[in-house]
Amino acid sequence: MDKLLRLDLFEKPDLLIAIGSIYAILIFASLLFFIVGLIKPKANLAELKQRTKSWWVMATLFVGTTMFNSNISYVAIGMLSFVAFRELYSMLGFRFSDRRGVFWAFLSIPAQYYLAYIGWYGAFIIFIPVVMFLFLPLRLVLKGDTVGIVKSIGLLQWILMLTVFGLSHMAYLLSLPELPGFTNGGRGLLLFLVFLTEINDVMQFTWGKLLGKHKIVPKVSPNKTWEGFVGGLVSTSAIGYFLAFLTPLSGIQTLLLSFFLAISGFAGDIVMSSIKRDIGVKDTGSSIPGHGGILDRLDSLSYTAPVFFHIVYYLAY
Amino acid sequence: MQKIVLQLVYCVAMRIVLRLFVGVRIKRATFLLHEKQFIIVANHNSHLDTMAIMASMPRQLIANVKPVAAMDHFGKTPLKTRLSNFFVNTLLIQRKRDKENPENDPIHSMIKALDQGYSLILFPEGTRGEAEVEQPLKPGVGLVLSQRPLVKYVPVYMKGMGKAMPKNDNLIVPHNATVVYGNPTAIASLEVRDIVNQVEQSLHSLRDAL
Repeated sequence: MDKLLRLDLFEKPDLLIAIGSIYAILIFASLLFFIVGLIKPKANLAELKQRTKSWWVMATLFVGTTMFNSNISYVAIGMLSFVAFRELYSMLGFRFSDRRGVFWAFLSIPAQYYLAYIGWYGAFIIFIPVVMFLFLPLRLVLKGDTVGIVKSIGLLQWILMLTVFGLSHMAYLLSLPELPGFTNGGRGLLLFLVFLTEINDVMQFTWGKLLGKHKIVPKVSPNKTWEGFVGGLVSTSAIGYFLAFLTPLSGIQTLLLSFFLAISGFAGDIVMSSIKRDIGVKDTGSSIPGHGGILDRLDSLSYTAPVFFHIVYYLAY
Repeated sequence: MQKIVLQLVYCVAMRIVLRLFVGVRIKRATFLLHEKQFIIVANHNSHLDTMAIMASMPRQLIANVKPVAAMDHFGKTPLKTRLSNFFVNTLLIQRKRDKENPENDPIHSMIKALDQGYSLILFPEGTRGEAEVEQPLKPGVGLVLSQRPLVKYVPVYMKGMGKAMPKNDNLIVPHNATVVYGNPTAIASLEVRDIVNQVEQSLHSLRDAL
């Protein structure tokens, strides 16, 4: 019961400062677009305004589900994995005979999050890469339909790794043991990870719009430029350095961590872009107004979450 | 009593289940409140089709809309009949016409329900086909509309339902799906053939807009 109704957020000044700055940025962005809209009524701000509105909703959902009660957080992040898995799986096209295998893959989501919840690290880290990796092909084979089975075996495992294994690292952050002298715990790390990943997306987008000229991978994502990438890298590392108080790491370690976070965020982004390009869709869905589907927002996070987790785990735990 | 059950099942429970777990994007079809009476015509791939259409109905209408279903499937036993009629509010019909006994004739039962003031949900493709494969429409919808030309039809197109719960597999595997409504439309001709073609056209234009 104590863990269920833990309302100690207000005794954690570090977390409050970070949450406060998220909302400060949101207020600033909303005001900015409002004022620019007044000065230049012709400027096309509809999409930016829509996006900012969705950011408000997402930020509030995130803070509401992760900062107060960690039991709810496991369920909420698990739900996120589920929706992302469903979106990607629906997009990629499976065979009728894959349904049973896919059903088992769905069942592995609560199992993976349960392992995160009880904090059994050994099982958590092998469940999808080893257990499901061996089991799912077997389940597909037992159905007896071999035409196109290679694609199904490969895709199913890959989707699980990206949307469930990767994202579940966010939940495991909350199960990390307490460190002496570090009171923010998993919530601080989770806040750092999500905040920095999203800031990196926004920074790459903004720098790209302001200065972008030289394209990195024009065939995959024409909006990704070297200027945007480097601008994002520098700003994210700097912001990460100032948010070091949320982590148990030293300033210089956090700087490096943020650096790798920015690179992996970019990687996740273009990997998802290439998949969308292959299928021929612009967005993965339409569940978040202005952003596209859930995956359009989670693409970088699915890469940053495991990278961030394992760097922190290696350095501090 | 039945009205409250239907409202709870479809407007609350089914909406949550379909949206959160199955992954059906449903918008509430509030515009139907302006229509006095209508026939919803939809493509048919899954048992979830009826569930999704019912879940998108405005609360006030739910008890007044009857999904038309096959007697030989949903009315196999007296218990099954009562369950379907109570929980899905079905209008059970025979698949084959029977002009000698109007009581058993499917067209006659549908017109009777319309005259009693009910709106209908009709799947003119007949049985559920293979996922994402369309079948030619049966003439029933034309026969009914040509005899009650003042009733408008509302085309509904659904995509992905047959992937979530196909015909030969009753296990629901979550799969993103969409339900889109077209505008209530009056028939342009009294010819049965023309009506069927018109309805087919409306469904195709909804599909192409997706």
